[in-house]
Amino acid sequence: MPEVLVVNRNLQKENSWLLDTYRRDGGYAQAERAVRESTPEEVIETVTAADLKGRGGAFFPTGMKWKFVRADSNTPRYVVANGDESEPGTYCNRFLLEKDPHGFIEGMIIAAFAIDAHTGYIYIRGEYGFAAERVREALHECYVAGILGEGIFGTDYKLDIILRRGAGAYICGEETALFNSLEGKRGNPRFKPPFPTNSGVWSKPTAINNIETFACVAPILEHGAEWFKGLAVGKGNAGTKVYCLSGNVQKTGLFELPLGTTARELIFDYGGGVADGRTLKAFKPGGASAAVLTPDLLDVRLDPSIIQHETIMGTGGCIVLDDTVSIVESAYRDALFFEEESCGFCIPCRQGTPNLVQILERILQGEGSMADLDLLESIGESMASSFCGLGQFAYRPVVGALHRFRDEFEGYIRGELPVSA
Amino acid sequence: MSETAIPAAVDDLRARVQPLREDPGSVLEALHAAQDVFGYVPPEAVELIAEELGYPEAHVYGVVTFYTMFYAEPQATHILRVCRDLSCHVKGVRGVVAAIEKKLGIHAGQSTADGRFKLELVSCLGQCDLQPAMLDNLAPHGHLTPERVEKLIDELGDEA
Repeated sequence: MPEVLVVNRNLQKENSWLLDTYRRDGGYAQAERAVRESTPEEVIETVTAADLKGRGGAFFPTGMKWKFVRADSNTPRYVVANGDESEPGTYCNRFLLEKDPHGFIEGMIIAAFAIDAHTGYIYIRGEYGFAAERVREALHECYVAGILGEGIFGTDYKLDIILRRGAGAYICGEETALFNSLEGKRGNPRFKPPFPTNSGVWSKPTAINNIETFACVAPILEHGAEWFKGLAVGKGNAGTKVYCLSGNVQKTGLFELPLGTTARELIFDYGGGVADGRTLKAFKPGGASAAVLTPDLLDVRLDPSIIQHETIMGTGGCIVLDDTVSIVESAYRDALFFEEESCGFCIPCRQGTPNLVQILERILQGEGSMADLDLLESIGESMASSFCGLGQFAYRPVVGALHRFRDEFEGYIRGELPVSA
Repeated sequence: MSETAIPAAVDDLRARVQPLREDPGSVLEALHAAQDVFGYVPPEAVELIAEELGYPEAHVYGVVTFYTMFYAEPQATHILRVCRDLSCHVKGVRGVVAAIEKKLGIHAGQSTADGRFKLELVSCLGQCDLQPAMLDNLAPHGHLTPERVEKLIDELGDEA
């Protein structure tokens, strides 16, 4: 089966990042048509009917989000593109930022028009230096061409989009932490509610969406809601998802497939199976935050319904683990990640993340005890009360690994497995 | 940068930060500018950014210390940011790190005495298609092996 290229439709073109290339194939026609001929309500209605849901991993309905923002009379309103892609195993936004910046900028313009915003921000993680350069150039092209600025597309609608770079902080992908960062502050999260739709950047109503979500918008307006819904497979899904493959897989890379594609199809049909002739031990469906699944679950759909298997769809960054990988060590790697990235703002996360690291270290060094396994569970329970999603998810890859591979944890404790780490 | 060079650089930074005054949220952009100019964020830059953007110095310093890519101390010419997360881990990043440590005679978090290289073990860089991967400052290098990374360090050392 071929890939279904909607979001990634322009990536293979020569000079794909240039405005001329983008416009040659009808780029910005949808934004222009929306701004000149449609009403904001019509745009929101189409996006709602298409059932587009947030590709950053939360899968909140995009049309509903924009409707909530528009319903709040507080102004000015803002549109924000979340390009802080930092989930381990995830790199689909980077390709869009570097190779097709106009694709998601067009979606942002349509969103801005729909919520009547006159300022937008693009927030790109600090490590994506080249991506930021490309986006900066693309914004410049838009201003020169009258696609951004005063009176865009010859109308009286004004829109500015400002590029901002992060500086090394996974937490800034959390929307309220991102707002604080945009406001020139430390990237600590804020309490919700109020939600960003009512109180986002500068405490004003804000539509914040992932880069990939914005990249879906112009194709939806061009081909219609029914077309978009028909692209997916599985119950309640619409559109495609750009899945990222990494780890012990033959072919790493991006695969844009119907949302709801199974893990077996992704890893074996598209990724060519496990690398180096090894066999599959486990896979993580959606970055570090997702708990590992075992090969008997290969036929689960990579969509939000995967939550019934004690893991999450997340960003679609699928990490393949072969039979040589220590699951305890992989849980340790995830724990290290969250320890490093905890912002230190709330106690359950600040204390819980290093505690998980210490216990896993102890187990890997052959100095763990069976009581440590209960301790991992109880620390997880306390971390569930963390202030934001980071801490609420940080323990799940560890506890999930314990639930699915308890024998291996016990093997280290009983001294049956070689000491490592 | 030597200490005598700081006054001229402060003027350079002021010229870059002043256009940001109408946009008080642009503290991070101002700090990126400071690092472009100085290679790190010296106290003079914190003072200047606080003054120009209208914040207490403590606020600006608080931002510097929150983000891992801002540095309050002078840094090596090449910061080697090596991913230590799962995808790179299962593709052998540990051997790559050991090769860098041996080649440069430093451990993770340290810099060489000549100030040319620093080794950082960092969170996922979003370069997983290039696993195992690292950044030399912001330039990505991937499909690393111990041999390749030794050669790369030789090449970078020649230009530094």
